[in-house]
Formats: sequence, structure tokens, C-alpha cells
Amino acid sequence: MKWQKEDIDQYQGAEEFVDTLLIPLMPITMNSKKDIKKLAFQGDLLNFFANEIEKQFKGRIFLIPTYSYYESNESENEVERLNNWVNQLTKNPFKHVFFLTFDHHWKKDERNLDGNLLWFPAIQTEEIDSKQTQPILKDQITQINELIRSYW
Amino acid sequence: MSEKKQQVSRRQFLNYTLTGVGGFMAAGMLAPMVRFAIDPVLQPASTGDYQAVAQLEDITNEPQRFDWTIDQIDAWYESEVTKSAWVYKDDNDEIIALSPVCKHLGCFVSWAGSDEHPDQFYCPCHDGRYYKDGVNVPGTPPAAALDEFEYKTEDGTLYLGKAKPRGA
Ligand code: FES
Repeated sequence: MKWQKEDIDQYQGAEEFVDTLLIPLMPITMNSKKDIKKLAFQGDLLNFFANEIEKQFKGRIFLIPTYSYYESNESENEVERLNNWVNQLTKNPFKHVFFLTFDHHWKKDERNLDGNLLWFPAIQTEEIDSKQTQPILKDQITQINELIRSYW
Repeated sequence: MSEKKQQVSRRQFLNYTLTGVGGFMAAGMLAPMVRFAIDPVLQPASTGDYQAVAQLEDITNEPQRFDWTIDQIDAWYESEVTKSAWVYKDDNDEIIALSPVCKHLGCFVSWAGSDEHPDQFYCPCHDGRYYKDGVNVPGTPPAAALDEFEYKTEDGTLYLGKAKPRGA
């Protein structure tokens, strides 16, 4: 399910079947040209992954709109803010919470997060749509899907 | 003097911008019409709504998943969408192409997706199951059979059209 009216219509009445939250975590920056490019590309990649996962598991996963934050090394505040977010969301009966990100900063705070962190290094490429990249991404997504299923 | 000059240029600037926006809008309105008029000529790869999906020689009695992409236009947003089908030949050598979208809540089903049921389609979300012909297994969550694609074959290639609910 996605955060869009069409899906909400379907979601209401099927709440007990949709027991898993997927929350993409996306850092943004306007600081250096290089970082902007890098993070924007990771953003594209993150959207692609999140949408593919949602597509395969539409009936069980609720894809929450991307959580974005300013890139920095002080992530404590973000951990608190994110946990608040999640605690509000999980007042509805969601059993599993997954965070999906390419931002390694979350890794060291993993223990403090109210959910499972799915962190992956982003592949370095320019083209998400290219013939060479697609099979690699598809393969990664298949593996993430298996990982998610192992929690169910 | 210099202020006056600036004002003029500011007005000009606004003028240009607005013309620009108007131009965009006009183009936006025209584009669908033009598209409508010439589109049929611009679709050599697919015949009508049918898309080339697989070579007939690759299709076996065992369901295999084939993916293909289409350009989908949602309002103003054009994107590439990947579509999938489970395709096989039944005992009468008829081609069956089933939609992978579970009729319960829309997860993707896979052939032999569960070790306990190697001859069925399996939905990982709530253990929905379907027989090989796409009919839902009673007692599992789905209440209907998998949608079936319209298809045609031409020169050894399988083309798929729309996925239709069974018995419709
Ligand atoms: S979505 Fe397939 S069984 Fe529920």
C-alpha cells in the first residue's frame, strides 16, 4: 500500500493484513556540489527500491512517504524524531517496522531505533534505467525481499 | 535614469516569463491532441495494445515469469513500468499467461513459491494459493482466480494484451 487515496480505500477494511511498515530514510544537502549529486542519486535509487518492494508486497507492506532530514553527523536528534514518528504510526497495529536507507550514519544508531534497519551500500552508477544496472538492482531487491520475508 | 531602465527590464522580464508560461500551457494543451492524431503511426514495436513478451520456443509446460516494460502515462507523469506474467503451455498446448497480482490484496505470487506446494502459485503475504490454471485454492485468502492476459502469437513471438478477470 502507498500513501495515496486509491490505496487507502483498499487499506481500510484490510488493516489486519497490512502489518508491516516500510519507511525510506533520505538525507538531503545543499552543501557541496559533489554531495548534492551523490545524495540525489541515492535518493533516486531509494525511491526505486522502495517502490519495487511495495509492488511485490502491496498487500502486506505499507510504504510510508520518505522520511527526509538534513545530512549531518549528529544523528541523535534524528533518532529521537524518527522514533516519535514511528511510535505515532504504530499506534495502529503494525507488527514490523523496516527502515530502508543508503545512509550509513544510521548504522551506528541501529540499536536505538524502534524498527529494523535495512542499510545497503549504494551502487555507484549514473544510470538506474540502463540495461547493465537493472539486473543488478533487481537482484538486490530480490535479496531484500527475502530478508523482509524472513522476519514474517 | 538607471531606475527607469531597471523597471523596464523588470517588466520585460515578467513579460517574457509569462509568455513562456503561456507557451508552455499552450504546448501542454496541444501535445495530447497532436499525440492523439499521430500516435498510431508511432508504435511500431507493439501491435495495438499488445506487447512482445517472449519467444514461443522458450515457453514450456512449467510456468515461467516474463517481464517487460511499457511507457505508462499517469496524468502528466510518464514513466516506465515493468509488467510481469507467468506463462506456460497447458496439456492441450494452449498458452496460458497469468497475472502475478494476487487477488487478495495485490502482492506478487510465484510459481512453486512454497516448498510445501511445488505445483501451485503461492502468495508470500498471507499464504494465498492458486492451482496451475490460476484458480484460487479454497480456504486460502484469495476469493478469485488470477487474471488472465489476452494474447496473440505472430512469427514465433508471444504478444500479451490486457489482463482480464476470469469468466468476464
Ligand atoms: S495478498 Fe496474496 S494472500 Fe493476501
